[in-house]
Amino acid sequence: MSVRLTTEQIEQIKRHGERTFPEECGGLLLGVTEGGARVIREVLPLENVRQDSRHNRVELDPRDYLRAEREATKRGLGVWGYYHSHPNHPAIPSGFDLDHAPFIGWSYLIFAVRDGKAEEARAWTVREDRSQFDEETMTIVSTTASTQS
Amino acid sequence: MPTISIPTALRQYAGGQASVAVQASRIGEALAQLTAQFPELQKHLFDANGKLRSFVNIYVNDEDIRHLQKEETEIKEGDEISIIPSIAGGAGGATVEEAKAQSEALPELNKDELARYDRHLTLPEVGLEGQRKLKAASILLIGAGGLGSPLGLYLAAAGVGRLGLVDFDVVDHSNLQRQILHGTKDVGRKKLDSAKDRLADINPHTQVDTYELALRSENALGIVKEYDIIIDGTDNFQTRYLANDASVLLGKPNVYGSIFRFEGQASVFYPKAGGPCYRCLYPEPPPPGLVPSCAEGGVLGILPGVIGVIQATEAIKLIIGEGELLVGRLLLFDALKMKFRELKLRRNPECPLCGDHPTIKHLIDYDQFCGVTPPPAATEVSDWEITPLQLRQRLDNGERVTIIDVREPHEWQIANLETYGSRLIPLGQFADRIGELDQNDDIVVHCKMGGRSAKAYEVLKKAGFTRIKNLKGGILAWADQIDRTMAKY
Repeated sequence: MSVRLTTEQIEQIKRHGERTFPEECGGLLLGVTEGGARVIREVLPLENVRQDSRHNRVELDPRDYLRAEREATKRGLGVWGYYHSHPNHPAIPSGFDLDHAPFIGWSYLIFAVRDGKAEEARAWTVREDRSQFDEETMTIVSTTASTQS
Repeated sequence: MPTISIPTALRQYAGGQASVAVQASRIGEALAQLTAQFPELQKHLFDANGKLRSFVNIYVNDEDIRHLQKEETEIKEGDEISIIPSIAGGAGGATVEEAKAQSEALPELNKDELARYDRHLTLPEVGLEGQRKLKAASILLIGAGGLGSPLGLYLAAAGVGRLGLVDFDVVDHSNLQRQILHGTKDVGRKKLDSAKDRLADINPHTQVDTYELALRSENALGIVKEYDIIIDGTDNFQTRYLANDASVLLGKPNVYGSIFRFEGQASVFYPKAGGPCYRCLYPEPPPPGLVPSCAEGGVLGILPGVIGVIQATEAIKLIIGEGELLVGRLLLFDALKMKFRELKLRRNPECPLCGDHPTIKHLIDYDQFCGVTPPPAATEVSDWEITPLQLRQRLDNGERVTIIDVREPHEWQIANLETYGSRLIPLGQFADRIGELDQNDDIVVHCKMGGRSAKAYEVLKKAGFTRIKNLKGGILAWADQIDRTMAKY
């Protein structure tokens, strides 16, 4: 599997991380699967509902997830992953990320925000036996070339 | 009928359906019906004990069943039951709150320890919690030599609870220039004994377990599994691949360091945390003999100090869960230029060990993989070897023996067997200069201790030579057993 996003979506995600820096941010990735790729059609920035350690923890509200699923279903999309920022930390999943990854077959997009500036973004999936993350190919297409639904 | 909404990622296990209708009056019953109909969902929703997984939330309409009657919550016609994942993430290790649960199990520090670790306790990033984590931690050091010295000294001083040391060597004069675990008084002692005494003096609260053996495929997993972190301080490729493979197979972090002459490198190989392993960096070992060891190429005595201390720092960070690790980064150090550089390392999806479709699932034969002949046990003389005494007798009998010294020119200057017609062909040039030798001659190859000449022996054997012997123990054995006036180094 691989994941495909547009430059505009990546920018949207990075701006979210820069806005919330030095705290973490997170959101959902809505899209479809097409020929072995998760094609993201919409990025949904959400609120970090975690009360403590917001500089290195993010938590999404299950109700936000529920609304996102309902909205996605209406529009023929699915929730195919989520993104979160690592402020002043590389875009590599932590042990905490592994322990809290809900699904196999999902894209986990992580991006580093260094001193308020978003840097590299990398996409990961959880191995079938949940033993570790594997990096997956992330294709970024320019917005004009993509087909927005 | 009530319906259960399935999250996108789990629909593939539910026949592709977004919602499934059930005939049930309680949540528990509804979920049982769902998994009976779609057995594949079971492991995604429930753990091995049949309890709902921690990241699975069940909502009835817009209410979490944890706030209702949990699995006994009643449902009726038209209710929408939703399976909702808890989505959480974040950089770094467990936070204070999360660690609280674990910390109950962490060992306490006594008065002596509190005084000893005062400067750590003052650091908010370490503090009492971090110091207790250090006490609870265990680290395996493979090799009590150049890198093992600063590693052992600083990790014991820092308060790591248990250190494992693997070594089978004896302290030699030539070790003292860099192996600061050992002193002049220790020459001739087992490195493990010397290290144990020194570490006990530095910190009696650190338990030191010793393994007097060479780490091999047969024993590696059993030893490695007893430790939280693995640190390889050896300078041979067989052990490096073995330590890497054992660590990856057991999901442990492997803190890597290597040194040569004036340059060193360090990284943390930890595929479980998303980083690459040593095989992603170097899928194949170099041909035997191509990369000289420190015994052959020399090493600045301070260099293992610099690299070993970097490795020790990474180990401490792994334990206390602070800072940015060298995962996915290779740190390069040049002592002459006094420069550090950094290379990004990516996990190789094709890696046979930690890639997407791993083919290595067990430890292999690392001598064979690295193309080297395993060293025979020190006490036996194999038929491919000749002792200094046997060689001396043959020479005294007037036999014509071609002696080839495969060391470096500066070693030749210290001591050589030129009196007996010995010629110098350094190992690095050996394959190219093999034409200078005659297959009909009786050839004895030697180096300082017998290791490099064993490689030369293999080169000759592969080239079809049969009348070859390796001088057992090298020129040092000759100096000990035959010519006591000879300079040793």
